[in-house]
Amino acid sequence: MASPSPLTVGGVKEDGGAPVVRATDVHKRYHDLEVLKGISLTVQRAEVVVIMGPSGGGKSTFLRCLNHLEKIDSGKIEINGHLIGYKESTGGKLKEESDRAVARQRAEIGMVFQRFNLFPHMTILENIIEAPVHVRGIPREEAKKRAAELLEQVGVPEKASEYPIRLSGGQQQRVAIARALAMDPKVMLFDEPTSALDPELVGEVLETMKRLAREIHMTMVCVTHEVGFAREVADRAVLIDGGVIVEDAPPATFFSSPTHPRTQQFLSKIL
Amino acid sequence: MTMGLLLAAVDQCATAPPSGFSFPCFQSILLSDVWFGPALTVVIITVVSQTAGVILGLPLALGKLSRNPLVRAPVNFYLWIFRGTPLVLQLIFVYDGTAQLTGNSPLLFFLNREMLISGAITLALNEAAYMAEIIRSGLQAVDPGQADAAKALGMTRWQTLRRIILPQAMRVVVPPTTNEYINMSKNTSLLLFIAVHELMQEAASFYSSNLRYFESLAVAAIYYLAITSALTFVQRRIEDRFGERQEQRAAVKPGFLRRAFIGAGTE
Repeated sequence: MASPSPLTVGGVKEDGGAPVVRATDVHKRYHDLEVLKGISLTVQRAEVVVIMGPSGGGKSTFLRCLNHLEKIDSGKIEINGHLIGYKESTGGKLKEESDRAVARQRAEIGMVFQRFNLFPHMTILENIIEAPVHVRGIPREEAKKRAAELLEQVGVPEKASEYPIRLSGGQQQRVAIARALAMDPKVMLFDEPTSALDPELVGEVLETMKRLAREIHMTMVCVTHEVGFAREVADRAVLIDGGVIVEDAPPATFFSSPTHPRTQQFLSKIL
Repeated sequence: MTMGLLLAAVDQCATAPPSGFSFPCFQSILLSDVWFGPALTVVIITVVSQTAGVILGLPLALGKLSRNPLVRAPVNFYLWIFRGTPLVLQLIFVYDGTAQLTGNSPLLFFLNREMLISGAITLALNEAAYMAEIIRSGLQAVDPGQADAAKALGMTRWQTLRRIILPQAMRVVVPPTTNEYINMSKNTSLLLFIAVHELMQEAASFYSSNLRYFESLAVAAIYYLAITSALTFVQRRIEDRFGERQEQRAAVKPGFLRRAFIGAGTE
């Protein structure tokens, strides 16, 4: 990534106002197994929150609840002050929103997946303009121009007409980030974005994520085990284990003097 | 002319020794021009009924994958009926069975009076049940992460299906579907049972009048082989193109049939 051009996505830092993400007492169960046992988390605008924790602890499930890829059983999730996935019916009960309404809400929330999930039957350019053109209705030419800028910004400008399979994992993940940014999201969710990468490719993806935080002050919720990234970029580090938030602290405190023994135990395994 | 050749065929076969293969008889049956119509019928019914089966198979596949049991139950019932009974039973059942049931209601004119249309419809309904399974397995072969990514970008369920899932499912669905076209061309022979004028019936009309079973059926076999060979050639063209694209993991896009035959455009 030779001197990439500066990022130019929206997300200007604004102080005050409603939090971008507000999850309140979120419960989620799969049949008899309760995976989320009342999680509350607030993320302010331009804040970067890293979620860590042992596998099976519920952190990825929680992230997927934030854009309603998973239903929740109780509690509520608001993004920019709007309920996600549900609407309040008479008597204050929550009722699931229509497919169309949920789709509109999700368009405001960017998500990056562990396995990239680029569309293999589309070129890189087509991957990026797919949602702007078919969800937002932006003219194709305009979307292409924007996509070219974004590809330049994430450092893979010369690959626009290639199919995803021709790209390295690191390049695919950076394209996936560009694809999410093309929708000008209010918040970006990262679900273990570097876990499927060869070790030598992790750095380039983390670098792109750092630039999102620093240059455009993107609000970010990242499930990751990258301690360096968390220390350097995150405003808060959160440990989710057993379906609850065990620790929520600034990274300096989280990594050097965690208060909860389960955090200490977890850190002793990954540090 | 037609009558002349038919009579010639009858003559050559009538004068042949009663046992053994008679080449003059075989030749006269082969060169008879009565085969063209039935052969065309086989080709047309194959294309029409199989294509209708593919189209009907998609909603059945989606119904089978539905989370709603009220959708799944009738679909499973349909598949159970059409996959669980012989095709020849279904053909006679739809053509004659429904006629009896409704006392030849004029509402069922096409099912009860037009054996060609009745047969084509039954073949399509039967094939839809098999295509449903083929399409279902194609849909399930697509990585669920693809639907996650599409939904996360704000696509509706329908957009996700049409733009992301279906094009990728096609990679799995197309090869068995081309096989189904070949199978369908042979299944049309069962239309003999509802007196559709197709190749098998033509063969039967020869051997029932001249008792030259071997020669009559050999000629019909040649016509079937010509049709299935042509379909196999088409199948190869589609799968060759398709295989190339598969290496790039680029799935079938609209217009792939056109590109397969006219040549790939630059993309």
